[in-house]
Amino acid sequence: MADKLPLSLTINGVAHELAVAPERTLLEVLREELRAMGTKRGCDQGSCGACMVLVDGEPVFSCLSLAVKLRGRAITTIEGVEQGRELHPVQRALVQHGAVQCGFCMSGIVLTAKALLDRNPRPTVDEIRHALGSNVCRCSGYAKIVEAIASLSEPPGPALPEGGRS
Amino acid sequence: MRYAEPETVEEGVSLLAATEQARCLAGGASLVAMMHAGQVAPPMLISLHRIPELSTITEAADGIWLGAMVRHRTVASDVRLRGAMEVVRSAAGQLAHPAIRNMATIGGSVGLADPSTELPVALVAAAARVEIAGPRGRRIVPIEELFVDRFKTSLARGELVTRIFVPQGLSEAVGHHLRFSRVSGDYPTVSISLVLTLEGDTCRQARVAVGSCGPVPLHVDAADQRLVGSRLAEEDVAEAGRILAHAAVPMDDVRGTAEYRRMLIPRLLGRALSLAREHAHG
Amino acid sequence: MSHPEKPGTGPTPVGDILGKSVPKLDAREKVTGRAVYTDDMTLPGLLHGALLGSPHPHARILSCDTSRARALPGVRAVLTAEDLPDRYLGAVIKDQPLLARGKVRYAGEPVAAVAAVDLETARKALELIHIQYEVLPAVFDPEEALRPDAPVLHEQRDAYFSLQENTEARARSPNAASHVRLVEGTPDKVWDQCEVIVEDVYETPAQQHIYLEPCSSLATVDRDSGKATVYTSTQTVFRAQAITAEVLAMPMSKVRIIAPRVGGGFGGKTESTNQPIAVALSKVAGAPVKLTFSRTDDMLMMRSRHAARIYVRTGATRDGRILAHKVRMYYDTGAYADDGPFVSALGAWLARGPYRIPHVEIECWCVYTNRLRASAFRGFGNPQVHFANEVQLDRLADRLGMDPIELRLRNALETGERWLGGARVESGTLRACLERAREVSGWSQRRSARASAPGKRRGVGVAAIGHVSALLGSSATVRLNEDGTVTVNTGAVDIGQGSDTALAQCAAAALGLSLDQINFTGPDTDGSPYDWCTAGSRTTFTVGRVITQACEQIQQQLFEHASEMLGKKEKDLELRPGGLVGVKGQPDATVSFGAIAGRALYFKGGPIIASSRWLFPAVPIDPNHTKAEGVSSIGNGYFVFAAQVVEVEVDELTGQVQVLEAWSVHDVGRAINPAAAEGQVQGGFVQGIGLALTEELVWRDGHLLNPSMSGYKVPGAPDVPVAIHPILLEHPHGEGPFGAKGVAELSLVGVAPAIINAIRDATGANVTRIPATGERVLRALMAREGMGTRDSGG
Repeated sequence: MADKLPLSLTINGVAHELAVAPERTLLEVLREELRAMGTKRGCDQGSCGACMVLVDGEPVFSCLSLAVKLRGRAITTIEGVEQGRELHPVQRALVQHGAVQCGFCMSGIVLTAKALLDRNPRPTVDEIRHALGSNVCRCSGYAKIVEAIASLSEPPGPALPEGGRS
Repeated sequence: MRYAEPETVEEGVSLLAATEQARCLAGGASLVAMMHAGQVAPPMLISLHRIPELSTITEAADGIWLGAMVRHRTVASDVRLRGAMEVVRSAAGQLAHPAIRNMATIGGSVGLADPSTELPVALVAAAARVEIAGPRGRRIVPIEELFVDRFKTSLARGELVTRIFVPQGLSEAVGHHLRFSRVSGDYPTVSISLVLTLEGDTCRQARVAVGSCGPVPLHVDAADQRLVGSRLAEEDVAEAGRILAHAAVPMDDVRGTAEYRRMLIPRLLGRALSLAREHAHG
Repeated sequence: MSHPEKPGTGPTPVGDILGKSVPKLDAREKVTGRAVYTDDMTLPGLLHGALLGSPHPHARILSCDTSRARALPGVRAVLTAEDLPDRYLGAVIKDQPLLARGKVRYAGEPVAAVAAVDLETARKALELIHIQYEVLPAVFDPEEALRPDAPVLHEQRDAYFSLQENTEARARSPNAASHVRLVEGTPDKVWDQCEVIVEDVYETPAQQHIYLEPCSSLATVDRDSGKATVYTSTQTVFRAQAITAEVLAMPMSKVRIIAPRVGGGFGGKTESTNQPIAVALSKVAGAPVKLTFSRTDDMLMMRSRHAARIYVRTGATRDGRILAHKVRMYYDTGAYADDGPFVSALGAWLARGPYRIPHVEIECWCVYTNRLRASAFRGFGNPQVHFANEVQLDRLADRLGMDPIELRLRNALETGERWLGGARVESGTLRACLERAREVSGWSQRRSARASAPGKRRGVGVAAIGHVSALLGSSATVRLNEDGTVTVNTGAVDIGQGSDTALAQCAAAALGLSLDQINFTGPDTDGSPYDWCTAGSRTTFTVGRVITQACEQIQQQLFEHASEMLGKKEKDLELRPGGLVGVKGQPDATVSFGAIAGRALYFKGGPIIASSRWLFPAVPIDPNHTKAEGVSSIGNGYFVFAAQVVEVEVDELTGQVQVLEAWSVHDVGRAINPAAAEGQVQGGFVQGIGLALTEELVWRDGHLLNPSMSGYKVPGAPDVPVAIHPILLEHPHGEGPFGAKGVAELSLVGVAPAIINAIRDATGANVTRIPATGERVLRALMAREGMGTRDSGG
């Protein structure tokens, strides 16, 4: 292993003093050095979104981010989304709308949705769908995820087509 | 692997020149994936993100200079890139998917010279120029001169791209980028970038570049000239499309066969021109 | 409006938990990143495993030198086939070694395994392993593989242990893994009675599961007892246990499998994945070993759906009665048979669709090729043949001048009619599903509308679906805790579909408890009673059934005590919500579950505990109805039905197809948790869109060109509409809990043909191969002009 460099990373508002080899990705540092397991590994290529984190509020792939480059940036992981012991509205909405199945995509989805709503509190359904373009979900077909996020759009976005039960 | 964060271009250039096979790290989206897959193992990585001049966007009298480290999402939201320059903005806003646009940079894209990507195509259509810094100082070249082959630029050892000039173009020009991919977020099967100037219904100027159909973005003067002076009628577009399809050297890959790409070129050219024309008139 | 026919067996639900869309039990932990999946876990002294894959699709292994790998500092174990017992895996035919032995049969086949102190070292060690190969000619197409001159994959085919005789297959070719032939009536004699005949060949791809969590196992072996404990991402702790024990020549009493949270499966984790090799590495290394595949390795080394080529000939009378149907199917099972013979058999059974067809001849070949092995994947052989049939039916409708839904209604099976192997349809709700789909989609208006943007054409298509849900065995234990709350133990694995929640709701409904009063435990072969697997749309059905049956026994025991405690006869007692037993008509006469538990534990009777077990009975074939070769029973399970309508827009310039809106109508019997069922319907639908439009593994000369999520594309949120309407009909019937039926696979089965039929409605283009990429659709659009079809007759 190459020489490690000293590195201070600010994650969820907390500074962590680390020694990290330059080729280590943020995903590796999160899961292995910091044992923060909420950020998942799905593809190592930036094609699935499971590893998503926010850097200065913007969604990026931690599997493609070298940790050493992130000195001085504000990193938000899924662990930083809950508000004390309360779920963030995005998390609550996903739970309530039945959008959660296997859950492996959820860390990324929550962060994408949070970043979207922080930037644009009234996204349309189409804006939501496109904002989710970096997050693959293989279980849900996206419909309930989009509905959950749309329910937080204030005021409510245009009426969504109804699912039905006879 | 060694790692450096130079704070000036000159420092970056001298590090790059001093170490064989050293690589510049821009956004990292491509390079880190390649490192992880074992495709490259640079002995030194030079991250450019602390060099202020590389992240600036400067307006000039006749166009805009985009620093090499400016990210696609920033280019995509810069409303100063209008008229002919909008082709670059349009491409930056459509390529890949949101998180990649947040990470990847135009300099990185240009340096990678991946024939499946779109920003180089838009820059060719915009007749962009690239400023390159090297051990012997800086030089500016037309963007096409940078792209030599798939994943191969004309950068010499020790050189790096500092900024890209997008010319303002003619006052009535419009720029448009059209991409066609299997699913959203995928590399395009074919992309078409164009800059178009109409006078009434007559085309006064056209510059068309085609992506994902050869080792470098495809630009053919004859195709542009076929459109100039015409009213962009069906046969004009078809002929220009034929010229481009004939000059293209597409490959078979999982995103499409070479034959399909050749079929798509004239069709998508027609669609891109229609959309650009609506834009010009509306 | 539901029309209950025969109510399901089992108790009457108490309280209001049944049918409630309660949030899933594990939803909170998943949205906060606290859910623990296998790769999140660690043990002291953990080592990391990696596998070396074959560079050739077909080659003999001449020599293998692992000395330099073993010598690398940090390496604790290096394994090749030599280091493993001479045992073979395989659900039907035991033809797979754990690591390649003697030869390699697909590019990517694991040849060696390494455990080291970290992943980087493990990967370096792989590079130091030198294997000499003698490259052999390879075959990549199932029909070519059946030719007499084709390269043979399994020279010792006849020596393998197999659950099936497969004499016909073996006689035809050493590359034939299995063969099924089903004949009903006399199809060859009635073609001339068919006024319209349609004939064509259809092709479907090798689709990959792309569960978001790659296969992962963490194995540790106790040095004293030799017992292996494996935490793993799996759809079945019991099958993983059995296979691991078998292939490593260990007794099952020394293998324990535990499933933490699982990030999707879809059929790709129903067989062993990397559990056995992780155990083998751990044994040799003397330390815990975690083996988590990279996405690339997962796609190179695991499994796919069977690619298929299907020849179909269908004949009907002028008034739209399907008279004869002849199908010849080739299912490409790749280098190892795996679930192939079962997948092929189910495909063969369902190749006649959910219709009344007097004369049927079906032949299915399951064939070895030098490609990735194919196995179970949502639908289990039905999506392929269903695609062929339902597209064929629309062509028939066209020739007959009949509406496609009308044609299906005319031939749809009804309750009491005989279907697979002569077995009777107990709840024939296909008509109800089709009629509902027609109504809710506005079918007639959409068919005639045709409005669209310039260069784009809209169309609607339909598919009817019949499938078999629930099979094999399950058991459950229910026990009363001292305070009257209840613990439910089953082996069922929740892979995301929500079974934990739905099953907890079944228990809660059976006993009148709230969900908080139910302790639903996780799957662990040490502590859980047997459940075959989360597959086959079976978990709510079979496990729900045994849970409710066990709860009935608990109720029995509760009433025995309560009867004495309240001085009433048992027939005068009733369950009341909240864990109470009361006297009918006397609101104040109650005794709590807690009080009963105390009495039982300290005074009389002992712990209140019950278990129940069930095996879906194998239904024999009626030889007077169906002459069957190569199968001895029907695909056992419960017959379930659905109908799907899709509206698409075709871009005539590029051939690209967009799904605009969809209606997926399912008879679920009883919706235990409607939101969860809807989630299954929508999720399966989008996987169906992938199969229909974008997903295929692509090989060149036996090498996968797209073993990555950037090369192999599944639909993303911008690609699919939110308007995928899940419509749940409730016709409770049969052995499932409260009359519930399965839904998980049906949600996918009809999507591809509905889309292809919609493309045809929009443009007149005939697409016979999926995925219907832009290129394939464009070619079909161009072929419209001038070229005749292969239809004949009439």
